[in-house]
Amino acid sequence: MSVLQTASIGLQKRFGRQRLRKILLGTIPFVVLLAMWQMNTAMEWLPPVYIPPMASIWEAIYTLSEGCAGAGAVLSMQYECLFTNHILSSLGRVGLSLVIGIPSGITLGVLAGMSRRFAHALEPIGVFANAISGIAWVPLAIVWFGTGWLTTLFILLNTVFWLIFFNTLLGVRGVPRVYENSVMTMGGGRWAIISQVYIPGALPSIVTGVRMSMGFGWRALIAAEMIGGDSGLGFMIFVSAAEYKIEEVFLGVLVIAIMWMITDRLLLIPLERWTIQRWGMVWRPD
Amino acid sequence: MPAKLVVDRLSHHYPDEYTGEDVHALDQVSLSVEDGEFSAVVGPSGCGKTTLLNILAGLLPHTEGSVQVDGKEVQGPGPDRGVVFQEHAILPWRTVARNIGHGLEIQGIPKSEREQKVQEFIDLVGLSGFEERYPHELSGGMKQRCALARTLCANPVVMLMDEPFAAVDAQTRITLQEELNRIAIATRKTILFITHNVDEAAFLGDRCFIFSRRPGKLKATVKIDVPREKRIWKDLLSEKAYTDPRDEILRLVREEVFDDEE
Repeated sequence: MSVLQTASIGLQKRFGRQRLRKILLGTIPFVVLLAMWQMNTAMEWLPPVYIPPMASIWEAIYTLSEGCAGAGAVLSMQYECLFTNHILSSLGRVGLSLVIGIPSGITLGVLAGMSRRFAHALEPIGVFANAISGIAWVPLAIVWFGTGWLTTLFILLNTVFWLIFFNTLLGVRGVPRVYENSVMTMGGGRWAIISQVYIPGALPSIVTGVRMSMGFGWRALIAAEMIGGDSGLGFMIFVSAAEYKIEEVFLGVLVIAIMWMITDRLLLIPLERWTIQRWGMVWRPD
Repeated sequence: MPAKLVVDRLSHHYPDEYTGEDVHALDQVSLSVEDGEFSAVVGPSGCGKTTLLNILAGLLPHTEGSVQVDGKEVQGPGPDRGVVFQEHAILPWRTVARNIGHGLEIQGIPKSEREQKVQEFIDLVGLSGFEERYPHELSGGMKQRCALARTLCANPVVMLMDEPFAAVDAQTRITLQEELNRIAIATRKTILFITHNVDEAAFLGDRCFIFSRRPGKLKATVKIDVPREKRIWKDLLSEKAYTDPRDEILRLVREEVFDDEE
């Protein structure tokens, strides 16, 4: 048996045949893109000002982090660590918007899902706010808050909060009445119904809301950082483009996509698997 | 000994959801269920059976007449009346064991004591080995056993059952009926069981209350004098003590259905 065969059997055992095939199929387009990119550099179809060679992207990381003295400096966000600073400030904004947006969106969403009066009061303003895309707020936000953290956070929260609010509201409304009745007949009060019926019952919808708000929020953030930011990946791309540092622009774009894939795979999908899939509340593929 | 559940001249009206017309669902219903008695309410569909159950459970406020459990007037839902609903009302996000212990959890019973009780009822309904499963992993029959155990485990004074076996297949239904009879013997619970199935009512009930079609009135009461221990389907089908009252109930119910069609 050749080494290759042994390795392939080992991999199949580790991941399972179906999953392995899925992963392999999913990587094909990436491999094709990378190959074309590499060929472009070799054949010189398009000059490096348009498409920089792959190696220069790696170099850009070093250039941007020149003078950065190790992990401590990265974490304390010292000025020299530009590359990681941009990543950390984008991530920090997303994290902060979730820390604020998830609890407040869920709280108000549950209230509106429970009380018709509350829903009547909040729904129109929600539709109004949702209609204004995140980016449309940027000029106003700059006037109000200047460029920087407040502006970008404001844009993000506008996206995150309303999406989670609406998804929670719809989720709570969709919880079958019989669950509520059954908890009530066991003597459960309002709080028991909220924590044991409404919130878990609305969770499929809430998780969808969080995933959507992360997706839209991430996009809105990059746009907001370009115009109204003073740091972050969006800001980095914008400034680098102005300085004709095309490899830094490429680097920024790649990092944005990779970071999103990582959050989705490592955070949001496992979250779904551990809650609503285990409870049999969503259709499970394969 | 005073009756556990007393319904006295209970009437109920409500406006129709679409037309807004006044619907007269229950008309001067009076009945009582003794301690440890298994009573069944039978009637054609739309006779107000479920309305009655919702009022008894406290999910629907009543305006005319009175409902008393253990001598206390019913005002809203409470743990003294346990309900087994027609649909599977067990929570999908709780395991079998956590569903069954839910009532005790709400009552604030400490965990160790709760676990012991829960195990007792898991064994009673034959769900041993499924403690950590989620409801979606159970069959329809098992879900209803779980719902039954959950209601029993909270130790209500009266157990109200709203057509609990209507959604399961015929084979499972027969098994569940015999199981429920066995559980009634074991726990001596006071039960009010609502059904439109005449055989089921006669098989399970010590007494059957037959309701007329809307507005629901108590039309007749039929006693079934078969000891609980003897209630097994294969023996009962040829037992006059079962077939006679069953035929009587069937006749009473059919009168209502045919009146309706004319």
